[in-house]
Amino acid sequence: MFRAEAFAKTFEYAELFVQGLICTVSLSALTVVFGFILALALAVMRLSDIHVFRFLSRERQRSLTARGGALYALARFNPLRFLSTVYVEVFRATPMLVQLFIIYHVVLAGVGIPTFKLFGFIRFERFVPCVVALALNSAAYLCEIIRAGIQSIDGGQTEAARSLGMSPWKTMRFVVLPQAIKNILPAIGNEFVTIIKESSICYTVGVQDIMYAVTTVKSAIYTIAEPLIVATCVYFCLTFPTSKIIAHFERKMSAGDRRSGADTARVRKSKNLALKG
Amino acid sequence: MTNEKLIQVVDLKKHYNRGAIRALDGVSVDIDRGDVMVVIGPSGSGKSTFLRSLNLMEEPTGGAIYFEGQDITQKKVVMPDGKKVRLDIDAYRRKMGMVFQHFNLFPHMTILDNMTIAPVQVAGIPRAQAEEKAMALLSRVGLADRAGAYPLQLSGGQKQRVAIVRALAMEPQVMLFDEPTSALDPEMVGEVLDVMKELARDGMTMVVVTHEMGFAREVGNRVLFMDAGKLVEQGTPEDIFTRPQNPRLQDFLSKVL
Repeated sequence: MFRAEAFAKTFEYAELFVQGLICTVSLSALTVVFGFILALALAVMRLSDIHVFRFLSRERQRSLTARGGALYALARFNPLRFLSTVYVEVFRATPMLVQLFIIYHVVLAGVGIPTFKLFGFIRFERFVPCVVALALNSAAYLCEIIRAGIQSIDGGQTEAARSLGMSPWKTMRFVVLPQAIKNILPAIGNEFVTIIKESSICYTVGVQDIMYAVTTVKSAIYTIAEPLIVATCVYFCLTFPTSKIIAHFERKMSAGDRRSGADTARVRKSKNLALKG
Repeated sequence: MTNEKLIQVVDLKKHYNRGAIRALDGVSVDIDRGDVMVVIGPSGSGKSTFLRSLNLMEEPTGGAIYFEGQDITQKKVVMPDGKKVRLDIDAYRRKMGMVFQHFNLFPHMTILDNMTIAPVQVAGIPRAQAEEKAMALLSRVGLADRAGAYPLQLSGGQKQRVAIVRALAMEPQVMLFDEPTSALDPEMVGEVLDVMKELARDGMTMVVVTHEMGFAREVGNRVLFMDAGKLVEQGTPEDIFTRPQNPRLQDFLSKVL
């Protein structure tokens, strides 16, 4: 099925695979950054407590109690949550490829993205729509992960922080999010690996990622099996270490979960204190 | 200092489902500086809701809470120049320390970080100074050697002692205790009550919801008995425990004493 000479021929185009690797990595890295920021915003919107028609309820409380009636439904209407929910549902219910084509051929078609070559080979005007499409798509999934993570934190944590005078934002920043992110790190890791793999569809709009290298080599040496195997290996070498690195951070962040076992950072800190005291 | 009103609660109400459920049904009480007020009552009587309303952890549906003269249940305050500004509830919460039944320490931070997070991030105290103060407070409750530990490594009693000094680190005017010993193993109740007794001796204003009648008797200077969302009887521990007037209080005491 596989021929040694076909592999040898494929490796003659190693340069293309290296370029593809650089392209896939930058595509995924940018997607992760923008996707995560957008997802965080969407999650906060989804959990927000803004009711534009709250005056209709004539309640003096900041939080609205659940009650029946059309007036109450309107008073509880939260435009931010509505927008965020619609976004998440639409992006999760439509194919990634369709989203990419719509972004590339419709939404950003008329936008004058500067045409130059990133790192000397990535066509920027094709690269940007891919980052946008991937980030918008992964944000929808990440939003749900982050929301679940935030909601999994015990309400007592928020109460304790608020009782100390911390603002809602600082409570989120210092108390809820660090714990939530620790809990959802495995799920986020999964999503990051998924982004790397899904970025492979970007070759369809002509971005020179790993899959693009496969199609190029295929038409040069008239065989597809060997280039595909090489691409598979490159993808695996990318995703496997990624999940391992995330697992490492997961262990590091769960320092407070373990009762025993001398954590080096903790020992160092208590030593410093002993010296100070 | 005594007999100076710190908190004035006027006709406080907390109704659910259009008044079908009345967790608080018109509670009025004054809390003076230096008071150690103990709130007792059967479960579901509204005593926790009352305590949690004081720093607006629960939002009342009616009535008013005046803290140093300012009604904190209002969303806006009228400034001396007549301008209306948003009431900064966080500023008032800083003045009211709260201790919870389930401690609610931040599990991802060391004990020291638990102690310094609010002073540093909210009060803007330099970290070194906040740490020094935290260590002094931890020594006071005999936990200075655990500063570098995480909450999970502590026993329940130790956690609650940390929770108390964490609240004290913000230098509150009043400390609110919501059943601070209810989640503790019996042998750890004493160590927490000792810290609270010392706090009371130092003149801290305290409002304590508890089932520890011994503590109410020994440390409290005023005892409130609540039942069905109402303040049924109040008085000195002497009055409440030896000369209960209301039949419901008599019934309650006969069950718990």
